[in-house]
Amino acid sequence: MAGTASGGSRRSRLAPYLLVAPGVLWLVVFFVVPTITLAQTSLTGVDGGWSAYHRALTSYGTHFFRSFRYALAATLLALALGYPLAYFIAFRAGRLKNLLLGLVVLPFFTTFLVRTFAWKTILNDGGPAVWLLQRLHILGASGRLLDTTVAVVGGLTYNFLPFMILPIYVSLEKIDRRLVEAAEDLYSTPVGAFRKVVLPLSLPGVFAGSLLTFIPAAGDFINAQLLGSPNQQMIGTVIQNQFLEVRDYPLAASLSFVLMAVITIGVLAYARALGTEDIA
Amino acid sequence: MSRRESDPRDAELHAFLRQAITRRGFIQRSALGAGGLVLGNSLLAACGGGKEGAPAAGADSTAATAAAGGKKLRISNWPLYIDKQTVPDFEKATGIKTEYTEDINDNGEFFAKIDEPLKRNQSIDRDIIVLTDWMAGRLINLGYVAPLDDAKFPNKANLVDSVKDVSFDPGRKYSVPWLSGMTGIGYNPKKTGRELTSINDIFDPKFKGQVTMLTEMRDTLGLVMLGQGKDPTKATKADVAAAAAKIKKARTGGQIRKFTGNDYAEDLAAGNIAIAFAWSGDIQGLAADNPDLRWIAPKEGAMLYSDNMLIPKTSDRKDEAMAWINYVYDPKHSAQIVAGAPYLSAAKGTGAELAKIAPDLAKSSLVNPPDELRARLHVFRALSDAEDTEFNRIFQDAIGA
Repeated sequence: MAGTASGGSRRSRLAPYLLVAPGVLWLVVFFVVPTITLAQTSLTGVDGGWSAYHRALTSYGTHFFRSFRYALAATLLALALGYPLAYFIAFRAGRLKNLLLGLVVLPFFTTFLVRTFAWKTILNDGGPAVWLLQRLHILGASGRLLDTTVAVVGGLTYNFLPFMILPIYVSLEKIDRRLVEAAEDLYSTPVGAFRKVVLPLSLPGVFAGSLLTFIPAAGDFINAQLLGSPNQQMIGTVIQNQFLEVRDYPLAASLSFVLMAVITIGVLAYARALGTEDIA
Repeated sequence: MSRRESDPRDAELHAFLRQAITRRGFIQRSALGAGGLVLGNSLLAACGGGKEGAPAAGADSTAATAAAGGKKLRISNWPLYIDKQTVPDFEKATGIKTEYTEDINDNGEFFAKIDEPLKRNQSIDRDIIVLTDWMAGRLINLGYVAPLDDAKFPNKANLVDSVKDVSFDPGRKYSVPWLSGMTGIGYNPKKTGRELTSINDIFDPKFKGQVTMLTEMRDTLGLVMLGQGKDPTKATKADVAAAAAKIKKARTGGQIRKFTGNDYAEDLAAGNIAIAFAWSGDIQGLAADNPDLRWIAPKEGAMLYSDNMLIPKTSDRKDEAMAWINYVYDPKHSAQIVAGAPYLSAAKGTGAELAKIAPDLAKSSLVNPPDELRARLHVFRALSDAEDTEFNRIFQDAIGA
């Protein structure tokens, strides 16, 4: 033992660093450096210093709140749709398991943009969805779906749903079935076993899934642009416009930082609340 | 002053008309494609009947030698803004291997892409780019554009008088028009239930939630200003603020359903909207599927825009670029381009040549607008960078973006 250590210890101590180096280098070049540049840009507003942040917070509060509201709604919807599906795939699908997982991933074979455009076709005023809802008297004769909040939140939910399903599936799949059997042996009802055993053990998946849904949804601009009216625009649309059309780089950069800050704080609070110590 | 303003109109009108149809119509679809925008010349040649092989086979020895010697040209333009034969014909005539790419979809976005390298004096791998007047003016002001070599441009004599002296490039030292088009009102008479004549029909409460305007600031502000009796060629900050206030009120009140790029075309065709601020050519293109749709230049006036060929200062193939510019200013060649992309050309004699190859199109008011229509066309005033930023801020706030 001692003999091998003397020869290989230096290398084995270096090995982890060497393994990590490419990833770190990548992140430094493509994440840390751009973030610093962005931070510098955000401080070059016309009135200097923090003026861009002042404008970002005073003029675009509505857009921030709207983005978080929509992202939250989409996350809850995705959870409501995704959890039962992940549960079914993990526990009940049997031979169909791989097929069903494949189907969950299938939409990714077309681009994000095309999928969202497809929603436009489905939600058209003369399209099937409006027709059906009007027959059911859920939607008035002059009602519409396209360019409404419903369409934007629906689009967000649809586009990020697989990011909710997959992590939950993984955490459910890992659960030792004998724990459920044990609960039942101890006279737990199926509902009780689910509540006391399965659900707590799947929380890391729920946590990861809701972050993977909420974070991109909050910063998304495609859905609001294609499926929303001007009264549904989200903060991502504003940032895109400020960067590419108005070319107010300081404002766009400060908006990006505010978004990042709010999301980071939100994530930390969420991690603490959910008590998943391995993440927080 | 009046001369300067009337001048760009004619020329720009020419260029404008052609471009509206194919160029704008394709933007949406191209945005969908996963980067499938590049139409290499070989593909173009293939579409045109595979004629590319001829010179390479040695039938035309000059072309073959030149190609072997590496004479090359890289052009960036808007999608569907040219016919299929011109690039292969040009290669055959000059021996310059030409890479024609349709990768410009938005002035602002394209600028964001080329600004950094040009600022650092680096190559952008393009020898000719085509941008709208105001953006061309910005690039010229920033010193990003190489002057045109008039000695290599004898066909400059064919430049229509009205565009010889535009405000952003007096004397056309740096730019010449590619093609031009008009912005007015597109509508579906079945949904409106009546004929429209005025810009202000778009604010009629009867059409609440069924109208769209364009995200292109100059087009939308210009039209609303015309509806308010203001002249976009002399736009003041107060005019812009008044127009923006009107737009904002209509937007928050739910009158305006959306601000669009050219995706209004789909909504119009699908019956989601009744009226749109629209580019003339798009509607002409849609009319093939939906003959009901109509495009009008409202009685208050319409906007005119023009796209210009520019040689980036970092291009190392300026002679080849000049050969292309000279080539397309031959009326025979420009007529061929217009036949494939029905917009307005700024090359004298294009109409006569077009009448020979496409007599019906040559009569269309889109390619050959009558004087009465020309008189109602306006070009948004050239803005300084500071004004541009300020107006844009007001406009973006109005459209809720």
